[in-house]
Amino acid sequence: MDKVTTIEEAAAHVPDGATVAIGGLSMNSAPMAMVRELVRQAKRDLTVVGIVAGMPVDWLIAGGCVKTVVSGLVSFEGLGLAPNFRAMVQAGTVGIEEYSEHLLICRLQAQAYNLPFMPTKAGLGTDVLALHPDTLRQEVDPTTGEHYVACTRLPVDVALVHAHAADMRGNVRVEPKLLWMDSEIVNAAALTIATVERVVPSREFTDAPERTTYPRFMIDAVVEAPYGAFPTSLFPAYGHRSAFFDDYSAAARDAKAFQAFFAERVVGPPTWRDFLDVNGGAGALLDIARRTA
Amino acid sequence: MTTPVPGYDCTVDELMVVTFSRAMSNDTLAFNGAVSFIPVCGYLLARRTHAPELVWAASSIAIDADPATIPESTLSDGLWDGASMLSNSPFDFWTYAQGARYNTFAFRGAQMDAFGNVNNTVIGPYNAPKVRLPGGGGMADLGAMIPRIFLWSSTHNARTFVERLDFRSGMGWGDGGDHRERLGMPGGPQLCITNLCVFDFEPTTKRMRLASLHPGVSVEDVRASTGFEIVVPAGEIPLTAAPTAEELRILRTEVDPTNARHREF
Repeated sequence: MDKVTTIEEAAAHVPDGATVAIGGLSMNSAPMAMVRELVRQAKRDLTVVGIVAGMPVDWLIAGGCVKTVVSGLVSFEGLGLAPNFRAMVQAGTVGIEEYSEHLLICRLQAQAYNLPFMPTKAGLGTDVLALHPDTLRQEVDPTTGEHYVACTRLPVDVALVHAHAADMRGNVRVEPKLLWMDSEIVNAAALTIATVERVVPSREFTDAPERTTYPRFMIDAVVEAPYGAFPTSLFPAYGHRSAFFDDYSAAARDAKAFQAFFAERVVGPPTWRDFLDVNGGAGALLDIARRTA
Repeated sequence: MTTPVPGYDCTVDELMVVTFSRAMSNDTLAFNGAVSFIPVCGYLLARRTHAPELVWAASSIAIDADPATIPESTLSDGLWDGASMLSNSPFDFWTYAQGARYNTFAFRGAQMDAFGNVNNTVIGPYNAPKVRLPGGGGMADLGAMIPRIFLWSSTHNARTFVERLDFRSGMGWGDGGDHRERLGMPGGPQLCITNLCVFDFEPTTKRMRLASLHPGVSVEDVRASTGFEIVVPAGEIPLTAAPTAEELRILRTEVDPTNARHREF
């Protein structure tokens, strides 16, 4: 079965109103090419799960795609706050379900392992628990007397991840393996779309099966998207593109300027290759490819 | 820009890094989160001076990393050069964290209270915030799991150090007293290192207590810049110890030659 498809076809698997989990961590490994396509297809009312996220969540919010963000953190780190996330959540236009990193991992693990809940000590004593009486329960183990938080299942309709390589059958390689929480969202999701730097012959997987990260039965669609995490990084191939973050944040100081920026620099370019060209092209890619293995 | 410390041959950021570094030891097993330049510099300095066995996982991922310079993001791969292992999040990092192998973590918040609890979620009411902040990230998790918590702030004022948090994103000593113990949490906040002074925590109430003053800062200055009642021990408050020339040389030329730490000021 050939799972390789176009980015347009793959994005069509995401219905309006779906719960979509976004891979990556902060400024690293986010599936930006696929996120851009969701914006281009004007998806609506998505519940977006981003455990520790930034730019992808901000793009989806700017594109009007988001009903609710489920997250532990959304920022551009030292490069600033995520402007649309901040403005829209502050205004109440976009909902927020505030968790923490490990509480979300545990909810995804409960879903992945098909268990009613996953226990953790995360969140004890904080105000996070009171926000979620239906999904987080503070309990005491009757045998040991230990306090824990029972994190209930978090069902995910579609997981989006970006990785280094895949074959046409849907085997996927992240090199080095599983740096972030991507495995948790893939394992919790009913359907996973992987964008990859390169589609390679299956022989490359069978020659080195110990390097496979996701087996083919966990992956539903594969899209080749070189530099598909831009402007976030994909270790060790390329770093994040600071200039894009800076330009984005600068434009966001003015609503009109941002609209123009978002149209020209993000949504407008017809293909991913066009997007890369508009955002610095070969020079920018050379600049971030400082760590080519 | 960072300000010179009167009478010391260093700036405030350097004094904070050195103070942080000296609180580390050979049995420190640490990791770092986002925008954590002072702790990252502190771990690297400690490892190059008095604590060569200290373990530090850069970005919580790259164990034993030894970067030539510190990049603009402390969660990015520019910090990972020289690592002996790249660990993965769910099965390595969270095992070592909740499994009480890692013992040291530093965080800070847009707001902090007298018990070392932190807020990085909202300013104002949760449902109608004046300012929506990025969120607590792993604070709610690690505050509960890690026994030696260190806090720092480069903005010591009454807006940061508040009587009551608008949201408790991360647990320090909670409501004080034995709150952590009752919840089965190990240890708790040890020090809070600011641009004005160093606090430790009064052993019974677990409230911030003035441990030392940076040169040129008075007890009254600290009181005026703190939105809660601080514990001031009887007698003279010592000065925060001066960095040695060797510590400053290593910090400036080996640990952070590009002054990444200034991003926090």
